[in-house]
Amino acid sequence: MKKNHIQILGIVLTAFYGIFIAWLYWAAPKNLVEVSTKAQTTIENVSSKTQVAIGTYEVDNAKFSEGLDAFRKNNFIVARDNFEKADPEKRDAQTRFYIAYSFYRQGFGKFTSDDALFKKGLEQTNSVIALDKNFKSADENLQLKTPVELKNELEEGLKVTADDFNPLKVLRERK
Amino acid sequence: MSEIEGSKFKVQSSKFEVRDSERLPIIDGELLEVSDNKTIETNQKTELSSANKEQGTEDKGQQTNQQSAIRNYLFLPFIFLTVALLGGLRLSAETSAFLFLKPPLVCLIFASVLLILFFRANLIKLDGWFSESFSTLTNFANASVLLTLFAASAQVFNSLLPESGLPFWTLAFCFFWTLWNNLFADFDVKKLLQSLGGLYGLAFVVKYLILANLTAPASESWIQGLFQNPSKEVFTWILDLPKYSHGTGYIQFFTLIFYLIGLFLLKPQMSLDESGTNQK
Repeated sequence: MKKNHIQILGIVLTAFYGIFIAWLYWAAPKNLVEVSTKAQTTIENVSSKTQVAIGTYEVDNAKFSEGLDAFRKNNFIVARDNFEKADPEKRDAQTRFYIAYSFYRQGFGKFTSDDALFKKGLEQTNSVIALDKNFKSADENLQLKTPVELKNELEEGLKVTADDFNPLKVLRERK
Repeated sequence: MSEIEGSKFKVQSSKFEVRDSERLPIIDGELLEVSDNKTIETNQKTELSSANKEQGTEDKGQQTNQQSAIRNYLFLPFIFLTVALLGGLRLSAETSAFLFLKPPLVCLIFASVLLILFFRANLIKLDGWFSESFSTLTNFANASVLLTLFAASAQVFNSLLPESGLPFWTLAFCFFWTLWNNLFADFDVKKLLQSLGGLYGLAFVVKYLILANLTAPASESWIQGLFQNPSKEVFTWILDLPKYSHGTGYIQFFTLIFYLIGLFLLKPQMSLDESGTNQK
């Protein structure tokens, strides 16, 4: 083996070993089993980020459909989990809109709304606006079609006004 | 070639006499003495043996060069990166789970000072590692080895410094004081390695023997510890000592040994000439 070949081999092996050590300190697995699971997670993250970088990133349609089914069955926690898995890079306005809507529907109450869920919904709505400010949902089952409408509804729910003490408020419907 | 008819003629040389009554072919040529043939053979043998010797020396030089390259570019980075991997590894007291501690900033500073010290003591000669006369690949390969040495040095300090509290600052100050003094002292390689061995050995004893024995066992609760090991509990609280598994000390012992082996194998000049000896 020539000296040049040994040098090239040395540089390559050093780089790989160095990257592995840096990854170990970043991922900090607690045992050898965790090394493999964290490695798998890292590879998935890297592949999705690479897809974003080269412009081939797509939402996982199967997961999105599962999320939509759960959303329509009012199973919002499962729905959000599936939506998150469908769009791990948080780049799809439609998926984000459904996540925001799920917070609204879950937090809606006849007497009082859940402020914590509404705040999370508001954050998601803002992210939809940041991704696509002209977004409009084509879903017929949703009464609030745009993020602006949803944002308004969430903000109204968070405010404490005289209307909150109106007994007729119990008659209002979830949108 | 020509023919001569005659009854008798003699061909006399210094040693031989030839008689022939019949026709004999005449061969034009130079008469050579036997002793001349022997000389030629001897000369040829000498030339062949010297050529073989040269070939052997060249082969040996190439083999030495290859072995040296394997040591410098494969074995040394492997040792130093292993030190870098293990230097920050601790085992938790309860479950022996891995804890990877990133080196604090002060470790990087100490490692930088240590590298300067290596250059000053000629453990590493700058012109023997980097030169315009070397190929880009060689310079790059040498830089990668130097980088692994830096990482290993930082992690050795990470290994030997206590993690937090008063012991951390005390030992950090001792390291800084020693390194700072060494920067202005005249060193040779042997003395530097002896000094570092002593420094690291002492720090290891302080952290993994003295302080580790002052730490209260992790299995005890705070109140139980106060009754059973009051002094240890107090020292653990005052000195902010972390509780690690005993395996941590063993891992760090071998880490230190690996690092010192790596330093021992380090050559002042990385580049070798064809005969396998260090270039001047």
